[in-house]
Amino acid sequence: MKKKIATILLLAIISLQVYNIYAIQRFPKPEFESGHTQPPTVTPDPRAQALDILDTFVLVAALSVVTWLVIKKRSRKGVFWMSVFAVLYFGFFREGCICSVGSLQNITLALFNPEYSIPLTAIAFFILPIVYTLFFGRTFCAGVCPLGTLQDIFALKPMSIKTWLEKVLGIIPFIYLGLAILYAATSTDFIICRYDPFVGFFRFDATFMMFSIGGVLLLTGIFIARPYCRFLCPYGALLNLVSRFSKKHITITPTECIQCRLCEDSCPFEAIDKPVLLKEKEERPIAVRRFLMYTIIIPVLILIGGYTGSQFHENLASVNTKVRLANELLNETNYGETEQEAFEITAFKAAGQSKEELYNEVAAIIKKFYIGGWILGGFIGLVFGLTLVSLTIFKYREDYTPNKGTCLSCARCVDYCPVLPEVKTELQ
Amino acid sequence: MKQKITIGFLLVILIGVIVVMWQDFYKSKNKSQKNPYEYNIDKLKNIDPELIHYKEVLQLNPDINELISIDIDDNDNIYVTGAGKVITYRTNGTVSQSFEIDSTAYSIDVSNNGNIYLGMLNHIEVYDRTGNLKSRWKTLNENVITTSIATTENSVFVADAGNKIVYHYDLEGNLRNEIGKKDTLKGVPGFIIPSPHFDLLIGNLGRLWVVNPGIHAFENYDFDGNLISSWERTSMQLEGFSGCCNPSNIAILSNGSFVTSEKGLERVKVHSPSGDFKSVVAGPDIFEEGTKGIDLAVDSKDRIYVLDPVKKLVRIFEKK
Repeated sequence: MKKKIATILLLAIISLQVYNIYAIQRFPKPEFESGHTQPPTVTPDPRAQALDILDTFVLVAALSVVTWLVIKKRSRKGVFWMSVFAVLYFGFFREGCICSVGSLQNITLALFNPEYSIPLTAIAFFILPIVYTLFFGRTFCAGVCPLGTLQDIFALKPMSIKTWLEKVLGIIPFIYLGLAILYAATSTDFIICRYDPFVGFFRFDATFMMFSIGGVLLLTGIFIARPYCRFLCPYGALLNLVSRFSKKHITITPTECIQCRLCEDSCPFEAIDKPVLLKEKEERPIAVRRFLMYTIIIPVLILIGGYTGSQFHENLASVNTKVRLANELLNETNYGETEQEAFEITAFKAAGQSKEELYNEVAAIIKKFYIGGWILGGFIGLVFGLTLVSLTIFKYREDYTPNKGTCLSCARCVDYCPVLPEVKTELQ
Repeated sequence: MKQKITIGFLLVILIGVIVVMWQDFYKSKNKSQKNPYEYNIDKLKNIDPELIHYKEVLQLNPDINELISIDIDDNDNIYVTGAGKVITYRTNGTVSQSFEIDSTAYSIDVSNNGNIYLGMLNHIEVYDRTGNLKSRWKTLNENVITTSIATTENSVFVADAGNKIVYHYDLEGNLRNEIGKKDTLKGVPGFIIPSPHFDLLIGNLGRLWVVNPGIHAFENYDFDGNLISSWERTSMQLEGFSGCCNPSNIAILSNGSFVTSEKGLERVKVHSPSGDFKSVVAGPDIFEEGTKGIDLAVDSKDRIYVLDPVKKLVRIFEKK
């Protein structure tokens, strides 16, 4: 009996689905001059939560496997195949979203805008690579990040560039990071996503400009390995800082360096620090004098940077759509349109907000940019100062070691090292 | 040396990429973004002159502040109404009489026995030929918006855009039944009326025709409310009707063809009894942009009377 009732209830529930058959279109479909036929309206289901969890699971698994391959197995081949997997899964299958690089904007927006509800996946994609980097170095960059791994596959004939140039260009990601945070914090734009050069490839829908930029970066990457990671990626800049504190970072040699110099030119990212002999160390008074000078210079650079940034706050704010709208209304420039009213202005009028309300809102936004300009400028000044210090500071080093900040843990160098753990055991 | 040149060249390109991104973000927004969803119907306003089979022969200029509705009686007298007044014209265009009414009439119908039925906002007023008020019917529902009236020997049909229904009254104002209520078992789709443009008329076979403007359909009912037949034509082109609610007004020719008027794309056309496009009476060029509620009437010689509420004219068209 119970079974029969259950069956009837089930059939009743299923029959409710038939109701949709009787639905009629509320308004007729429009016609297009091009002959395009409007596809039937469908409401896509939200992405299943299980798939979000799967993404996070795949991220953790990929990070763990790559870290194991880098730190334990020291397998370049393994890292390469993980790179291919990352391009296929996080790139083409997940279409580059969600990605850890862009997630820092979600985090920033969530911190500064309480109305924004951040997905847990975004938090996971932001934090997990940082945690792994803190312990094991930039293994995320090595074989999980689809942007980095795509370039890595293209790094066919890498050439070396001068250290000073590497350092100077290496400042750009920090500026980009600062700008990305500023624009996300002010709810202006997600510039990392806007100028993601490879997401258009993954989705097969790149605009001509982004296709060109992505293409140029990939072609350049044949000779200058991973140009986006080294000279643009803002998340890489963050990982660069975190990785410096990593405890279990990849080493070129598994045991003791025998100074064979085979690995000297093996890194396509110029991330191997060469030995610095004690005799090259400068005299103590000179070092002390330099230390004192930097102690003064860095705060001065921060102040100059902060002041300069604050002076450009209106320029920085000009890309905010509300600021732009207020400017156009105030100056009656109509977005450069001469023939008809710009549709942004038409939309503003239709929304019913008064100009005074808009101007007040914009004044608050510009104030945020003023404060943001100080912080951004100060941050850039700090980066300049620290870069200057790192160029001149003396670090005693006996062996060839990966630079924990810039090393992408790709494990190319380990293949060049003739020292094997087994060999060491035999020698002992 | 060669390597240095290559690297130098590539670095310049890299910096170029950064400059392009910078330019794009900060400099390239001088122009307004084009609205990709702009609703531009200018091209559709051009009508092939070959398709215009009518010419304007006369214009009447009624002295009514808000000109709304028109009807023609069996003797081809023309009745127009609107805010506070009803004016009657003879066939030659001279005024035969006028009388004042308390408020605005949104629709008018002159019955065979000469009574003048006025659809006020939420009630019906009945006048005799000379303009004496005979009766006033209260409607039963709330939120009534009367948009059209049609009469037969024994019935009065009133279109209510507010409740999306047609009321069937007897001549004394007693409600007989309601027509057009959604009934899937009887195949009645229900009227979809996004704006207060909801017209009806009595066809040549004595049946009721009602416009279902939300789906661009004509629906034919018997007086008991059974749906007999229907046709619909949705098209931005002349072959059909477009927008949220068209045709806004209709009339019928002696051969059973329908005269239709539209808003949004202001045009008056003739469709065959089965709905096929036949010809154009008046194109958008003769109306002010945004003209709505172009009421229609037809006399015994199939002359088409077009009420232009913006220019406050009655425009009379004859076949070329």
